[in-house]
Amino acid sequence: MAGCRQDKEVLPEGNAVYYWRTSLRLDSTERAFLRQYHINKVYCRYFDVVMGDDGKPRPNATITFSDTLPEGVEIIPTVYITEDCMHEYHEDLAEKIVKRIAQMNETNDIHGVREIQIDCDYTSRSRKVYYDFLKAVANHSLFTTHYSLLSTTIRLHQLSMPAPPVDYGVLMIYNTGDPRKFMERNPILDIRDVAPYVSRLSDYQLPLAAAYPVYRWIRNIHNVRVEHTVEAEEILRVKRAVEKERPDLSRSIITYHLDQENINRYKPNTYEEIYHH
Amino acid sequence: MKRFIIISLLAAAMLPMKACLWLDNHNYYLFSAYNHLEFQERVNKVCDNNWKAYLGSNEEYFWFRADDVIKAAREKGDALMVSYLENLKKYLDCVTIEQQKQNEWNYPSKEEIAQQQKDLQAIRNYALGKTKTKLRSQHALLYMRCNMMLGRHQENITYWEQTAKGFIDTVYRDMMENIYAGALYKSGRGAEAAELFAEMGDCNSLMTQFYKKRSYQAIRQHYLENPTSKVLPFLVQDFVNNAQEAIDGAGEEGAFGGKLFIRDLTKDEVWQMRNFCEIVVREGKTDTPILWKTAKAWLEYMYGDKKQATKDILAATKLDGTVRMKECARAILLYITADQAKDGEDFDNYLADELAWLDEKIKEPEGSNDGYFYRVKNRLTHQALTKRYTNRPTIAVAILKASGTYLYDTYIDTMRVDGLERYLMYTNTPAKTKLDKYLKASIEKNDTILEDLIGTKYMRLCQWDKAIKWLEHIPAKYYNGQGYQIYAYVRKTDVEPWVKRQWITDENFEYARKYNWTLRENPKLVFAKEMQMKEGTLHLLSGKAKQQSCYDLAVRYAQASFTGDCWYLMRDAKSANDSVRVNETDLRAKALNYLQEAALTNDFTLKEKALFGMAWSELYRTSDFETGNKDLWRESVWSEQAGDWVWKVKRQSPQYRAFQGLADLEKQNPNRTAQYVSRCDEFIQFKKQYH
Repeated sequence: MAGCRQDKEVLPEGNAVYYWRTSLRLDSTERAFLRQYHINKVYCRYFDVVMGDDGKPRPNATITFSDTLPEGVEIIPTVYITEDCMHEYHEDLAEKIVKRIAQMNETNDIHGVREIQIDCDYTSRSRKVYYDFLKAVANHSLFTTHYSLLSTTIRLHQLSMPAPPVDYGVLMIYNTGDPRKFMERNPILDIRDVAPYVSRLSDYQLPLAAAYPVYRWIRNIHNVRVEHTVEAEEILRVKRAVEKERPDLSRSIITYHLDQENINRYKPNTYEEIYHH
Repeated sequence: MKRFIIISLLAAAMLPMKACLWLDNHNYYLFSAYNHLEFQERVNKVCDNNWKAYLGSNEEYFWFRADDVIKAAREKGDALMVSYLENLKKYLDCVTIEQQKQNEWNYPSKEEIAQQQKDLQAIRNYALGKTKTKLRSQHALLYMRCNMMLGRHQENITYWEQTAKGFIDTVYRDMMENIYAGALYKSGRGAEAAELFAEMGDCNSLMTQFYKKRSYQAIRQHYLENPTSKVLPFLVQDFVNNAQEAIDGAGEEGAFGGKLFIRDLTKDEVWQMRNFCEIVVREGKTDTPILWKTAKAWLEYMYGDKKQATKDILAATKLDGTVRMKECARAILLYITADQAKDGEDFDNYLADELAWLDEKIKEPEGSNDGYFYRVKNRLTHQALTKRYTNRPTIAVAILKASGTYLYDTYIDTMRVDGLERYLMYTNTPAKTKLDKYLKASIEKNDTILEDLIGTKYMRLCQWDKAIKWLEHIPAKYYNGQGYQIYAYVRKTDVEPWVKRQWITDENFEYARKYNWTLRENPKLVFAKEMQMKEGTLHLLSGKAKQQSCYDLAVRYAQASFTGDCWYLMRDAKSANDSVRVNETDLRAKALNYLQEAALTNDFTLKEKALFGMAWSELYRTSDFETGNKDLWRESVWSEQAGDWVWKVKRQSPQYRAFQGLADLEKQNPNRTAQYVSRCDEFIQFKKQYH
């Protein structure tokens, strides 16, 4: 797949967001954000795939479509699969997922979809099964007739493994730290946690988009409410560092995730810099 | 396929009782202000019983099977029921479409959804037309269900208020009221809806409604608007139990992996809530002050102010509230007292009364019993009483036994042998105190089990004389009733485990059944006697005879160890996660010591066997995944560079040294190596890197 195409064709320059809620409904701030930053792609979580009690993967937390995206904004159905679903190969999983996405688009009048993204925190244990699964998705007749691109998320630790058989990957530049060591490092993003992986970027054999965190993570540690957000400067520092190593990471930029709270967290010029190509 | 009838679309959330835990930490919620038999479960049960009665069946009815009931209705000539059921079945198909949207692979098509809407309309019209028949409640419920699915909430509100409210009290009316409450909620009348949900005990719907309104501030606001709101017990209980989760989750990883519905609570917020509870009690506007005072006491206890908690929980028990709230206060008083009160007869007497009370409550019938008192007793036993009676292990064991917990077996298995001897004596003497009376009346006695365990414990300590004293009265037939009987029958302690493993085959099991294999001797007693004789005479021997005897003892110790084939001598079961247990001698270490002595011999054959024994992996293998098997000569590790698993050789490990000794012996004595050594795969691998 990727080998036959130019990166520019697979990953044209553009801005995108992840949409990770269970109901697609945008408020005026979110719509304005899409306009202001020329967002032309929304990676929209359609549903999760989790292990059922019967030992078979099943869909969960499916999105409901209460709204449509503004004209000209492409929707990319994204499916999050829990890693345990990839501990063994499930023969019909690829087909089930492709069919379900197609049916969701059909039922909800979503047209012009040309890409699917799969998100999975695969490890060395699950990598082979996951890659076989991705191949099955890409080779499925329904996929080949309806879609032209298959992408997947790439976590930093996954850079040490061979690249997955997809058209491109989205490098998730977040959740980089050890949550237990939150006093020393920001678990969402810290350049020191990114550094060990940077050297692998230039040789990684896959076109890559870059996804940066703009979210807040609240948790309770030792009875103290701990709120993690990333300083704008840290996001930009990391952006500079990774783009220096791999300049094409500036071509397609995504923020995680679209939400009024996240929009208001950073100044407009921070977003402008994040989305700077 | 299992299908449950959706009552209210609002009831989308689950209310789990416990976090996802790897192991039961017995940390059940003690604060439980209302019965947790969830509304939906309750009505489902009644409906199932109604169908069971209609079918005239004696079998338990677990879920609705429309076709069976339609068939039965046809046979009875009950035309109205047939038409109702056919429409109910169609309604359920419409519900399935909703489920498909959420969590099934076959997401519905536009046509299916259109058909669903059409069907719902048709069923609705049918049902409305039958609301004056003898099955009017059922049809009215079906009508309201269709309205709910169609989003016609105002029609449901009107229908309930003008018509269905006046129906006779049945489970169908309860379900209609629940749908009515959902309609109120969806029409912006949340406060009225919440009161109804609370009254009917629909905690799932309440949780959906109040999911984001569960803070101290939200509770305070709710109270200010209506101090006698029926929602308050739900909110207060939710807050207090979240506070427990916050303190439980305050470990290394914070609240990671906690419950689905956990809110992050800080100590400040907990303390604000505590102070607010006191204000509520003082204001006197609540009709359940016991709820607030108990909440205050339990928050104080959990967050470290145990002295104030003791005062407050005592005061709480004198206040007004529902029966369940009073029982909850009593349970928490018991728990706090068990932790705080001084040792002595007063507490023991109080405990005996309260345990008897809990036992009575636990026995209450299933329909009204939500398991709360069982959980109270479980937590009390494991967290408070075992700790309290640490210095009186006899009572601690008796309490565990009386509570029926599986931990009793673990406890007696690992406790010191003298403690178990005292416990056995305790169970065989008349009760002196009230607590003794309670415990002895609750304990099911079996002296043989304890005598066997005491004898086994002495075996684990290699005190053969004492072991024999306890084991010699136990007949072989006792061991024929044990799960490990076949192992005791087939396996021999004098087989060198490093030369031959004694696997139990399927054939063995078949023969055991067919020919009724029976032990004729007590296998533990036989072993203890042999070991006593061999170890007792060792000092009389010297030279080759002594070295041979050392080797024989090593064989037996290795066999009896937890990685040996005769593990049943020291324990009832074998697990891959086993290790040397507390109050147990390391039998493998003893085997190695004896092998070392035997290896000093000049006799080549004995020396070779002893060195080969010392290199046996099972004498070093551990189940410690953290540190790996550090005593083994090599370890498989993942190499990023190689992209594969590779062997890491550990030259300082004892197994390496044993193999080294064996390899050197072989080198010094070419052509004399025994076949069991030269064919050993592990030794072949060792030599590849050694020479």
